[in-house]
Amino acid sequence: MHRVSRPSVSGILINAAALVLVLSYALPYIYLLMTSIKPAADVQQIPPSFFPAVISFENFREVLQSSTLPKAFINSLTVAMLTTALSLMVAVPAAYVATQYRRRITTFFLLFALVTRMVPSVSLGVPLFQLLKSIGLLDTIPGLVLAHTSAAVPLALLLMSAFFEGVPKELEEAARMDGCTRFQAFRKIILPIITGGIAVTALFTFITSWNEFLYALLLTSESTKTAPIVIAEYNSVYGLAWGAMTAAAVLYSLPVIIVTLALQKQIVGGLTFGAVKG
Amino acid sequence: MSDEDRFVLCMLAPAVAILGLLVAYPVGLLIFDSFFKVETITPHIREWVGLQNYIDALTSKRVAESALRTLQYSVFALFFEFTFGFCAALLFSAMVGQSRWHRTIFALPLMVPPIVAGLLWRFLLVGNIGILNYGLVQLGLISDPNEIAWLSSEDIVIYSVSFADIWLTTSFVALVSYAGLTNIPKDLLEAARIDGANALKRFWHVTLPLMRPVIAVVVIVRGVDAAKTFDLIWIQTQGGPRHASEVFSMNIYQRMVRFGDLGEASASGTLFLLVMMVLAGIAYWKIWRPAHA
Repeated sequence: MHRVSRPSVSGILINAAALVLVLSYALPYIYLLMTSIKPAADVQQIPPSFFPAVISFENFREVLQSSTLPKAFINSLTVAMLTTALSLMVAVPAAYVATQYRRRITTFFLLFALVTRMVPSVSLGVPLFQLLKSIGLLDTIPGLVLAHTSAAVPLALLLMSAFFEGVPKELEEAARMDGCTRFQAFRKIILPIITGGIAVTALFTFITSWNEFLYALLLTSESTKTAPIVIAEYNSVYGLAWGAMTAAAVLYSLPVIIVTLALQKQIVGGLTFGAVKG
Repeated sequence: MSDEDRFVLCMLAPAVAILGLLVAYPVGLLIFDSFFKVETITPHIREWVGLQNYIDALTSKRVAESALRTLQYSVFALFFEFTFGFCAALLFSAMVGQSRWHRTIFALPLMVPPIVAGLLWRFLLVGNIGILNYGLVQLGLISDPNEIAWLSSEDIVIYSVSFADIWLTTSFVALVSYAGLTNIPKDLLEAARIDGANALKRFWHVTLPLMRPVIAVVVIVRGVDAAKTFDLIWIQTQGGPRHASEVFSMNIYQRMVRFGDLGEASASGTLFLLVMMVLAGIAYWKIWRPAHA
């Protein structure tokens, strides 16, 4: 009996410590949610209060009726979806041969993708600005998609390589015995069993583009601004419109949080996998 | 060329083309531009100046200061991210299978876009209405809510802006460390316990050495990311007050956009790239290669 009760004391301590830690990390975001549902006037009251005295959706109404934010959300969504599609189209086949057909060129290729992840976006942003300007794609949706793809493809390659490594080489060989060409084996046998990995990679590339700020700042102006740029502008253009800004920040971040929490198990696996491998 | 080789090349070609056009070519352009006196708005008018842009960058006080600040920021952020994240992972693994919900909630900041994290922390720290100082007053740590000017004091701002980074990425460290900790064989720790090693000794002589590769990955991945930071600081201070939070990436951006000096921005960008490549080289030799050997 003694051995049973003793660990429970330290167990309670550990649980309490973990609870404090988790709460202190969740608190800032909860405060953001609380602030967004305060009336605009209460947001900047001194001293500030954590909970709203009255619940109001005034801030949300303001940003949704503004001329800029809804359009920026559409831009962000368009860019993120196109970036995801383009990145997966080129990265999935490449990651497949890079892991299943090991040779000097594929090893070099994966290494290049890994090195690319280390390139600071500002270093790449400077010449990308020039490149897009010279081909007339500056301040266009396709231009920003290309810029985001430069960051998303290496990420997709490393994640997909990690997933393809779990696929036995015999699978393709068996399919070819049955008369498939290499390409048919890839399309009809390999792709269907790797859809889970593709879904996780798609989500990661989507979030990479959705969250991206520096390229959007450098490469877009009026008509193609994405959501983070418009949210950041509440900072300067409208003075310090904290109420509107918190509402816009909630609209921008909450959908991603909900989707990722729903798929948490797969994502954490992919994330730690990609980090350790990549 | 064999049938197999042709297949490999076909599958590889689109990715090679994309990375060539969007990474290799721009990097070449960056290095090329760094040897010219050239303006951002008129890139077709250029004058060869050799290494002058590099000399200017390396002798500029503002560049040197921004490089030092990048180091201060990265080391400070990394130290706390690592300490908090690793402790969280140890706590979660001590809870033996009861930490699922804790980990789920703890992972929350990981999904928050950097721009939102930056704004949120600016809102928490900003003068007059920043709730953090009121919280510190309640706890009795300071007496006046205006006592610490987190974002407007030139002495501390570079550390204050890293709070958002620490909040945002501690969970990444925790999740990767937790995955590493769960891979440590239980019987190894049990054997050390039977041999009379106390908890501290078990941690120091068994857990820590086995975690070495995981720690190396976390430090390199997070270190490189912290050194590249732009958006998180930009949204909080735009580099101010009086450049006191201007890191290297921001310095490059300012010189390209505000001063329109494409040549000098390219030289700095190339130098930045080289430093990161050296770090990438270390990452490759230390981590990636042994795993594939």
